[in-house]
Amino acid sequence: MIEYIDMILPYLTTILLVSSIYAIFALGLNLEWGFTGLINFGHVAFLAIGAYTTVMLNMSGYSLILSVIAGIALAGFFGFLLGIPTLRLREDYLAIVTIGFSEVLRFILLNEEWLTRGSFGIHGFERPFQDVIPYQYYNIFLLLLFVAILGIIYFSLEKLIHSPYGRVLKSIREDESVPSALGKNVFSYKLQSLIIGSAIAGLAGAMLAFYLQYINPFTFKPIETFNAWIIVILGGTASNKGTVVGALILWTFFSGTRFIEEYVPFESHQMGAFRMIIIGLLLMLLMMHKPEGIFGEREELALSD
Amino acid sequence: MHYLTDQVVKLDILSVRNLKKHFGGVKAVDGCSLKIDAGTVVGLIGPNGAGKTTMFKLISGFEGGSGEIMFKGRRIDKLPPFKIARCGMVRTFQIPHALTKMTVLENLMLAPNIQCGEQIWNIWLRRKKIKEQEKLIKDKSQKILEFFEILHLEDEYAGALSGGQKKLLEMARAMMIDPSLMMLDEPFAGVNPTLARKISGYIEELRESGMTFLIIEHDIPAITKISDKIIVMNEGKIMAEGVPEEIKQRQDVLDVYLGGEG
Repeated sequence: MIEYIDMILPYLTTILLVSSIYAIFALGLNLEWGFTGLINFGHVAFLAIGAYTTVMLNMSGYSLILSVIAGIALAGFFGFLLGIPTLRLREDYLAIVTIGFSEVLRFILLNEEWLTRGSFGIHGFERPFQDVIPYQYYNIFLLLLFVAILGIIYFSLEKLIHSPYGRVLKSIREDESVPSALGKNVFSYKLQSLIIGSAIAGLAGAMLAFYLQYINPFTFKPIETFNAWIIVILGGTASNKGTVVGALILWTFFSGTRFIEEYVPFESHQMGAFRMIIIGLLLMLLMMHKPEGIFGEREELALSD
Repeated sequence: MHYLTDQVVKLDILSVRNLKKHFGGVKAVDGCSLKIDAGTVVGLIGPNGAGKTTMFKLISGFEGGSGEIMFKGRRIDKLPPFKIARCGMVRTFQIPHALTKMTVLENLMLAPNIQCGEQIWNIWLRRKKIKEQEKLIKDKSQKILEFFEILHLEDEYAGALSGGQKKLLEMARAMMIDPSLMMLDEPFAGVNPTLARKISGYIEELRESGMTFLIIEHDIPAITKISDKIIVMNEGKIMAEGVPEEIKQRQDVLDVYLGGEG
């Protein structure tokens, strides 16, 4: 029995760790898309900025907390930079620019070796309280820390969207000409939403680096953006609770399917593709039968009319 | 002196000079000038494509054109829509823009400006003030919903409302910012006669309280009944302007627009 727990516990910890990171990452997207209606197809770029900034600053001798704050701030700042030219235009421009940006950034990370060590990636950076916590308990500690951070982000966002501020964001999602005609500075609100969403992704990036202990440009492929989209749509657009549960479901599925690997006649790379096929199929079924997602409200569904 | 400026402001709340907007070769609005006195109802009529809605967009800042627009003594033609709205001008849309995935009450509570809780840091720093303000705004919303007789729908999602109810919702929402000038784009279109009479009643009641209206409308009997002045547009130009009785008699207006009706 004890041995069994010894086996299952690290496994569960891993799922929960990754889920909590992705929940935070997707909560940022949910603020942008679910509540403000911004289509960001390059969310992973802000994850990468958060991770690389934290890690590189820490390696250059800055304290960990300062490095994380800088990572969050820089991710937010890039959200600001991308928002300035695109948010006055139609919503699809943000989608085009962000997806382009995330790929450009990945190639910069890959090729500017003097700065980022390119495809070798970076490891050997500090992790929070690594000298204090015994190694065998470290992941448990990290999990507690991440869940606490997730809690703070979750409740802050809940507070935000249930405030008059959140009401303006929702009205922009519905039809931005209305808040505009009523005297709200729509552009400024969209920009703020993008900055906050990006900063949250930056925080998730730092957390991802702490968990992986090693980052390289391949950690930040476009698929990560779409994992966040899957999480938001699965859990329910415009539902923070749904986003957290969506992250848990997705990662349970990703790791759960490892167990069936021996029963299916696939190589491991084929298995990866097979997983995505299943996810695609499940999403299609979800859209047909419960388009609002698991926790979304049909009346609040932002996917279609 | 103060009295004098007050008077000037009161006389014409909105004045438009030589307003122009071209879409390629189409002159949607072609050198229009008009003045609207405070506390009056002005009807803007004309055949389809006359440029009425474009005129609305230009005045409310949703389109950029050339010409001069003065509102309450302030030049507004270069301002973005949200700043114009903050000056006290609010417009509704030809097709009602209800925020369908928000409740009726939320639709109204969104409207008032300078809400403390619309600044992000205040959500954490000034909770008490936000709470007080929310209560006031809610009370006001409910009063206005009651005025428009849709209070019983306050918790419904706006998407569930009928077309006519959405029109009322839009007027109610516009009322929340206490506008000095309300611009309505076809308030009677697609509305049943009873509801249309009700809307007319509201407009007259609000005019009594000092509000000014500029209304685009195709329902000639309805608009002539409530208007102090009618402006007729045709092919981007203002072709006639005057009291309703006078307009109804004009042969050129009858020819382009009213046809046999007059």
